[in-house]
Amino acid sequence: MVKAQADMTQRMLRYGIYLFLGLMALIYLMPFWVMLLTSLKDVEEIRSGTLLSLPGSLDLSAWDKAWNSACTGTTCEGIGPYFMNSFKIVIPAVAISTLLGALNGYVLSMWRFRGSEVLFGLLLVGCFIPFQVILLPMVRTLSVFGMANSTSGLISVHVIYGVAFTTLFFRNFYIGIPKELISAAKLDGAGFFFIFRRILLPLSTPIIVVSVIWQFTQIWNDFLFGVVFSGVDTQPVTVALNNLVNTSFGGKQYNVDMAAALIAAMPTLLVYIVAGKYFVRGLTAGAVKG
Amino acid sequence: MAALTIENVTKNYGEGDILKGIDIAIDKGEFLILVGPSGCGKSTLMNTIAGLEDVTGGRILMGQEDVTELPPKDRDIAMVFQSYALYPNMSVSENIAFGLEIRKVPKAEREAEVQRVAKMLQIEHLLQRRPGQLSGGQRQRVAMGRALARRPRLYLFDEPLSNLDAKLRVEMRTEIKKLHHRLGTTIVYVTHDQIEAMTLADRIAVMKDGIVQQFGTPQEIYDNPANQFVAGFMGSPAMNFIPCKVVSADGETGVEITDAAGNPVFLPVPNGDKLSAAVGQMVTLGLRPEMVTDPQIHKSGEAWVREVSLPVLITEPTGADTMLVTRINETEVDCRVAPRFDVSAGETVSLMIDMSMAVFFDPQTEERLDR
Repeated sequence: MVKAQADMTQRMLRYGIYLFLGLMALIYLMPFWVMLLTSLKDVEEIRSGTLLSLPGSLDLSAWDKAWNSACTGTTCEGIGPYFMNSFKIVIPAVAISTLLGALNGYVLSMWRFRGSEVLFGLLLVGCFIPFQVILLPMVRTLSVFGMANSTSGLISVHVIYGVAFTTLFFRNFYIGIPKELISAAKLDGAGFFFIFRRILLPLSTPIIVVSVIWQFTQIWNDFLFGVVFSGVDTQPVTVALNNLVNTSFGGKQYNVDMAAALIAAMPTLLVYIVAGKYFVRGLTAGAVKG
Repeated sequence: MAALTIENVTKNYGEGDILKGIDIAIDKGEFLILVGPSGCGKSTLMNTIAGLEDVTGGRILMGQEDVTELPPKDRDIAMVFQSYALYPNMSVSENIAFGLEIRKVPKAEREAEVQRVAKMLQIEHLLQRRPGQLSGGQRQRVAMGRALARRPRLYLFDEPLSNLDAKLRVEMRTEIKKLHHRLGTTIVYVTHDQIEAMTLADRIAVMKDGIVQQFGTPQEIYDNPANQFVAGFMGSPAMNFIPCKVVSADGETGVEITDAAGNPVFLPVPNGDKLSAAVGQMVTLGLRPEMVTDPQIHKSGEAWVREVSLPVLITEPTGADTMLVTRINETEVDCRVAPRFDVSAGETVSLMIDMSMAVFFDPQTEERLDR
């Protein structure tokens, strides 16, 4: 009897948790839902209906306009070109910072040297430097190197900023891998890069996923660096979105704004949906052992 | 000619010496075991032989070649690790062939070598598996296979059996011994298990606190330990250490113990003259458990054998022998008696003490007195 009662309480608790989680999910999804609905309405429907009223017909013209012809400041080409700009920035920046982080982590965990712990500590400080602090010096530095207002300049800023984080990820992941593996490879005759490529990288999938997701969202969502360091033609999509929303002739076109915002958010959303479960797995990997 | 010579090797991590002047030399084909309690420096010594750690001072030679400054890959050494250290992302055959691949051995030759090694270790059916799919014993074999594939000058084994269960450990021990006999390879083997050391070694280096306490054959170390640490570390159950007084009787030097009734008993000492300077002083008598037995008719009357009546504190039958615990001079003493020797705790029985292998230590310095 007592056992049945305990079972009952257990089940009630469980349903309670489900209810709570469902409610939370609903609250989180609500803005997304409103955005989606709004983007599918025309301006007239937006004015007459409520936030949650469903659109009368499936009207994708706002999406078309946001992508192809909405005005972002002086030009009216939509956010399509800037979307591509963002990819041109994000892909190399993520790839380079992840690779550098992996190499740094490899050295700091497997090839320790005198002062390597101090160096690691200093690198970590890089995680805590606020964006605003480096804006002006970075502008000067980029112009000295002739990279001002260019895609490559923006990429280097993101790489430098990201290396602190990726190094932290990889170093903490590699510290959990037995050093004997490296010793065995050394005795087998493998060198520094050979061990990295053949032994460590194949084991690194979870932490590569973490690093890529982290860097991708950071860089894709970045606005401040994008505004400051990019030229007119190399602006990332976040800057273009801001310009689009702030450029208005006549009434506010909320449906176009919402469509553009959804387009801009799409890649990060997709990355999370596709690789999200690896992200959690990778973050907790090594947390139990070592 | 010495295959491996370690000359006055020291190692210092900044706070205190880990290795304090190690001197060891072994011949080609010899099986050397480094044994000692944890923290004695045996693994550090092995890593310096492998080149995984630098030495602070001294030299390491292989044959005539000074390898002290060589990186691990140029030393032509293979190592079997305690954790096996198999590459988890590679199949068994890739693991075995990895070293050959790096040394740019042609593919056909590599495959032939993998087959040869796999056959020798009976792991042919496992070649396509990943290390994660293998049992502990199988991983152990693969790790040995990886070492054997390169046919190096020297094999290093770092506690290779300590992760296996007791039964498998004994099996693999025999296997390693057979392999050594068959291949005639030079092996350095680290363990903290003194039974492994006794059974496998041609030579044993017993280490403690970064110093080689004794270097010799297993029998030398067992019969003639250099100090009380070595005597107590090697052998199971451990040697008994009994405090007793050196006395002189009829011109003969011996030691005195007290029997169950409280009467003094004189025990003769083979190397009596070595102890004659210590007459009247206390020494530590070292007696192996198998030297205190039930009375055996064929031994009675021998020069170094005495029968003494002693109390039985407890008996522990193991099947082949019974371990009997008695008390001599206020010290508990393990005795190895025949299982049919039917006594029970609380009785007083006559036990035979064979002093022919007795050793003596200074109670303060713990060094041998009669050597």
